[in-house]
Formats: sequence, C-alpha cells, structure tokens
Amino acid sequence: MIYLDHAATTALGPEAREAMEPYLSERFGNASEPHAYGREARAALEGARRTVAELLDCGPAQVVFTSGGSEADNQAVFGFCGRPLGRLVVSAIEHPAVREPAIELERQGFEVAWVPAGGDGVVDAAAFAEAVRPGDRVAAVMWANNVTGVVQPVEELAAIARDRGVPFHCDAVQAAASLPVSFARSGADSMAVSAHKLHGPKGVGCLVAREPARLRPLVLGGGQERGLRSGTENIPGCVGFAAALSAARSTADHRRAMRTRLEAALPEGVEVVCAAAERLPGHSLLLVPGIRAELLVLALDREGYAVAAGSACSAGDAEPSHVLLAQGMSAEEARCVLRVSLGAGTTAADVDGFAAALGRTIGTLRQGILPAA
Amino acid sequence: MYSTECVDLALSRAMAGDAGPGAVHGHAGNPACGDAVRIGLELDGARIAAARHQSFACPHATAAAELACRLAEGRDLLGAARIGAADLDARIEPPPAARACTALAADALHAALAAATASVQLAAAPERVVVAMSGGVDSAVALTKALAAGAAPVGVTLRLWVDPQAPHADRACCSPEAVRAARRTCHSLGVPHLAVDLRDAFRRTVVDDFVAAHAGGRTPNPCVRCNGAFRFSAIAAIADRLGAGRIATGHYARVERREGTALVARGADPEKDQSYMLASVPAEILERCWFPLGGQTKAETRAQARAAGLAAAAARESQEVCFAGGGDHRALVERRGGAGPEGEIVDAAGRVVGRHAGVHRFTPGQRRGLGLGGGAPAFVLRIEAAAARVVVGSRAELARTSVRVAPGRMYVAAGRVQAKLRYRQSAVWATVTPLPGGGFDLDLDEPVEGVAPGQAAVLYDGDAVVGAGTIE
Repeated sequence: MIYLDHAATTALGPEAREAMEPYLSERFGNASEPHAYGREARAALEGARRTVAELLDCGPAQVVFTSGGSEADNQAVFGFCGRPLGRLVVSAIEHPAVREPAIELERQGFEVAWVPAGGDGVVDAAAFAEAVRPGDRVAAVMWANNVTGVVQPVEELAAIARDRGVPFHCDAVQAAASLPVSFARSGADSMAVSAHKLHGPKGVGCLVAREPARLRPLVLGGGQERGLRSGTENIPGCVGFAAALSAARSTADHRRAMRTRLEAALPEGVEVVCAAAERLPGHSLLLVPGIRAELLVLALDREGYAVAAGSACSAGDAEPSHVLLAQGMSAEEARCVLRVSLGAGTTAADVDGFAAALGRTIGTLRQGILPAA
Repeated sequence: MYSTECVDLALSRAMAGDAGPGAVHGHAGNPACGDAVRIGLELDGARIAAARHQSFACPHATAAAELACRLAEGRDLLGAARIGAADLDARIEPPPAARACTALAADALHAALAAATASVQLAAAPERVVVAMSGGVDSAVALTKALAAGAAPVGVTLRLWVDPQAPHADRACCSPEAVRAARRTCHSLGVPHLAVDLRDAFRRTVVDDFVAAHAGGRTPNPCVRCNGAFRFSAIAAIADRLGAGRIATGHYARVERREGTALVARGADPEKDQSYMLASVPAEILERCWFPLGGQTKAETRAQARAAGLAAAAARESQEVCFAGGGDHRALVERRGGAGPEGEIVDAAGRVVGRHAGVHRFTPGQRRGLGLGGGAPAFVLRIEAAAARVVVGSRAELARTSVRVAPGRMYVAAGRVQAKLRYRQSAVWATVTPLPGGGFDLDLDEPVEGVAPGQAAVLYDGDAVVGAGTIE
C-alpha cells in the first residue's frame, strides 16, 4: 500500500518517536509540580517551546500549546471576537476549523464578511482590502489551502489588516509541513500549527499569538499556558511536535520533484487544478472529468494507493467542497476532484505506479458513467 | 462509512453500461447532491433479459444501481416490481443519511419498470387485481383487504402533475414521496408495485381543462372530471396490460347493479362518502371496480391500519385540487395563463358598483374578495365571462330552484331523485326532465344557494348514482 495522502495526516517520524519515548514512560511528571518529576517535565516543555518558537520565528512566550490545529483555530477566532457582538472577515476557502466558528458567531449575531478566491485558488487581495474595516474583531485567511494546496499572499493580507488595526489570524496547518513559515515576517497576529501533518504525534499543536493575553481563553481550569489553555500539559506530545518540526523543513525540494514527475505522467484527460498558482510542494489536485472522486478513491485503494477525494459527499453532507465552489468550479466538477499529497518518503516508483493505476482505474470506471445531460 | 459489500458493488462493472437497442430506460436524480442514476432494461416479452446501469453518483447510489440490476435481470416484470430500497439496503447497509442515495437506484429501476409497463402484455390471470395506491392510509388498507380476500394484487400508483410552484408540491398526493410511500407499503406486504408517470397527459387533460373553465368564469370540479375521464381509464388500461380483470381502490363508495348496469353508490361512512367524486366513472370500468372500504368508516380504516402496523396509518389526508399542492388555485390559474379579463362588478339592475381583477377569481355564492366596502353584504350571483362582468346581489337573490345540467347523462331512468350540486353540500329532492340533446333540467323542491356553472350535479336514487352532468 502506497500512502499519498500526507495532507490528511502523516506517520509519526523516527525523530519524534525517539524524543517522545522517555516522556511516555519514566519521565511522566506533571509540569505544575515543584518536585523533581515536575521540574523535569517543565524543562522538557519549555525546551520544546523554545524549539518550536525558533522554527516558527516567534518568541517562546508567544507559543501556546493546544490539542491541535482545530483547537488553535477555534481559540483564535472565538478568542479575538469575544463580546459584545461585532464583525469579522473570513476567506471563503478556510478549513472548517475556522469556517465553522465563524458560522457559529454568525448564528450568535456577529456579522461575517466572506472574501472570495479567484479561479486560481488565491484569495482576492482587493476584495479583502475592501472587506476589512477598522473595528473588525479579526480577519482570517489560511497560509496554504488544504484542498488545492494553493499558497496565499499572507504577508500582503496581514499588512492590509494591520493598516486597519484589525488582528489577522492565519491557519498554517498545511503550510508548516513543508514551507519555511515565519510568524514574525508574516505580520500575522496569530497562527495555528498542528504536529500530525508534519510527522509529529496526533493531538498536539499550537497557537502562536503576538499578544496571547489579548485572547479570551476557551478552556478554563488550572491556568496552564499562562492561563490561556488550562489542562495538564501534553509533555510527550509537545516534545514530539518540536522534534518533528525540526526534521520537517528539508523535504520540500524532494516533494516538488516528485510532484513534477507525477504531473508529467498523468493519464490523458486528467487536469491539474490551480497548476499555475504557487502550491505546497507535495500537493497535487487532479480533476478527472465525469468520474466521481469517491469511486476513484475506493478503486485506487483496491489498487494499493491511498489518496483523498477533494470533495467527499460524506453522509448527510451533500455539498461539494466549499473551497472549490468558492473559486468558481462547477458543482459537478468539484465532485470529480482527487487530492494527492506526497511525503518525504514518496519515491519515483510510487508516483509512476500511481499514475499507471489511475489510468487503469479511469478506464474501468468510465464504463457505466452517465454522460452529462 | 462504506460496507465491504457496498465497495464491491460500486466498483464492480458487471452490470455497468448502456442497455442494448430497444431497451426501456428509467432515470432518477437528486438535485440536492447532483447524483443521477439511469437504468435500462432489455425485455424479452415480460421477462427482463438484461438490466444495465449508468450513473454519476456516490458509492452508495452506484452500488445500489449495480445491485438493482443484478436482482432485476432474469425476473419477469412483476417479479422485478417487488424489488425495493429495503432489498438494496439489506445488502449495502447504508448509514441512515445515505438511504436517500440507495433509494435513487430503486427509483430509477421503478421508472424503467413503468416504461416497460407501457409495452408488455401479460397473460390474463383471474386472481390478479390492480390496486390503485396513493401512498395514503385508505389505499393501504384496501390492499390488505385484497390480500385477505385471496387476490394476487399489484399496486399501481399514477404519478400526476403537481404545480411546481405550489407550497407543498413535495407532499402532494401524487408526488415522488407519495410514490415511494406507496411502494414501501406494497413491498412491506410482499406485493409488486408499479408507478406510472402520467404527468404530461394529466396536465393536458385535467389541469388545462380546470384552467380553461376558470378562465371562462365557471367553477369546475377537477376530481369528478379526473376520475371520470382520466384516472380510472388509465388504471384500467394498465390493468389490461397486466392481465388483471379487476381494479380495487380505497374510495369510500360501493358498486350497485341495476337493470344490468353497474352504478356507483354511497359509501357507508356519511362523512367520507366519495360517490360524488366517482359519479362520472364509465359503467364498463365500474363493472371491474371493487371498493373494499365502501362498507366501513374512516375511523375503522385508521384502526385497521394501526392494527396491521402499516406506516401509512399516520399519512396525511389527501386534498381536493391535488395538483395545486396546497396552494391557492387562483394563483395556479393565473400562472398557467387562465387569468380572466378585469372588469366591472354590477348589481342585478346593471349598476356598476365596483371593479374586479378577473372573472376566474369568483364563484357564485362568494362573499369575500369583492372589495365593495360598506352597505348590505353582497354575494356573487353569477359571472358573465363574455362581458367580463361579475353580478352581485343579496343573499336572498342567490337561491335557485331550477338548474340546467348539460352535458349530462342518466345512467338509468329516474324521475324523482336527490340532487347534490356541490361536494360539500347535502342533497335536495328534485324532479328530472330529460332534454332532447342529452342533459336534463332539475326542479328543486327547496331553493339552493350558490349553484355554480361548471360544478358537477350528481343524482341519487337511494344510495345509487343514477345520473350526473355539468351544471350549465
């Protein structure tokens, strides 16, 4: 079985596993305690925080560990918005971890301005500039999109928000796995990162915030993470996260080379979505006209390749991907999109084999396709 | 998420592809998710020689289409008509939210079977009876009675046109949901079900006629017309092709024989009696009809449905003017080009007392919507469509004792009858004088208010309908 779904999650890397092991067994202390066990845990936690801060280009005091990317996004959106009711600006292509909190705030009475993306998958900076007004609670645009892989002009957008005095939140969950993400240079006020997308453990991530004290906490309790995120710290997770992040950055060139190879070998009729835009290096979104992505995913699984549907009709959710619709793709096309995301360990044989399997699968499934009306 | 069986079926291409030339096809789509399934059947007489599917659909619907074809191939028409969504779900095991997806394949199969029905001729089978199924409780109980009587029933539902802009188009008695409910009822009792799409013919025959009558200032009764000139003859034609001699429905009415002629007669439940609505069903079709609920009350029907565990026990009552889908029939008439001309409202002496927005908005006896303001209450007396005039007057002026019915027909000779001039109106004694060119005059023993041209006049002798026609 060949794994080509690194945008969904990744295997725990050896660096992270090795770093974590002692903290899963003998070094099990609670970092809040003053005894030797507690001090050992505290030292590991703060060491991890310094590493993460250095790699993400921010101060250690700006790193708030969370249970993952979704919590970090929720913390940022709800934390900046607080009360009373107000207004926020969100791009139309956000991950559900930002989109759903915004929709919830809309239900509560907030005004949400949704900013569209162009056909190339890039959020429209002019529309963003028009949407953001002084007094808005937050403006949120992701660093790189999880469906298309398209990298967004974060610095430009953050500067626009800053001009208007509006905090800018950036979901960097996909980007941090393969781009040199710099919080300081981005100009963002907060940023979400997750460990399991970059060969770290599941269940840990962080919110980087310029001024963490400005945020209203979501989780109350023992006051850990300077009161912003209560709950006994996940020491093995944080240590594993730091180790994984250290190892993550060096694979971009390899991924990009593998992607180029894949996209050159695609069967006829398969199109690369947003091919002209700047994309995450291992990310390739494929349109297979007329064939439903859910069927392709199942058929490729039988062929030994794990990939994702760009837009799955999960039970009860009949909507095709809001991301693809937001950039002007038709609903029918959006249902025929396959997401292939390559990893550090992906080989030339893997991508060649995948391209061939895709060709065979399309040939088989083509029989029995209902021609468009 | 997906069962192994679901994945196997969805990826199998065994039955995938286009059926051969001469095949009949059925199509079903879900606009909410964009899924579409098409099933083609190659027939060898009444036997399905091959079944093939094409789809642009999720794995659940694709698997269901594959399975539906595997189950249908090799069966005869009525055997395949026993296949329902429940049979597909039993093997595919979709999560509850995906049952709409597997149902799509069942819909496509049944649409193909309906198309096949138009071309088959089954050998006559004496025990076979076609039961007209609406999806409601009455036809469901009628079906159980047919089974209990030892008949071999085939459920048939007519898919009829419903105003797409109606507020409850989806819930109307002939909507896709009603068709599915009827199919579930049949399948739960092991009975084959066919749903025949007659939307276009129904619209041309019944709906256009309804619109034209309103446009001419008349007050038509579409149900009497539909039963008399459309629905029963359509079901009889299907019964002929299926080799079934008899037709059963869930109407509250009975069949009485007099002088060698079959007559429709009042049902035992005075509240539900539907003989008025059936007054124009031709005698040769009535001859074949059986109304299993004619001898009981609606309350008994509901109790029997509950006792039999029928899902239809909780179904809503069907409405009059079913194709208006719960909407205002005047709006429907206007949307379909039947708006009558605007004009004057005048009193009996011809004095103009106001203006109106179209004669189709009025019926004799109507008091609302005249917009005449104060003074003595005014009622519509009559509509003069040619002059675009609505004539109003006092309540006393509404009463009439003589009514001309044409066209009309006496089924058996009768001089003294009880005449019913609207569905929700009690019958009055009347003397019948036949007219030379067909039709008849009625002299009513007591005055009746709001007699409306276009409505059905139905004449009873005892409980039997001995004559009927349209009020001139």
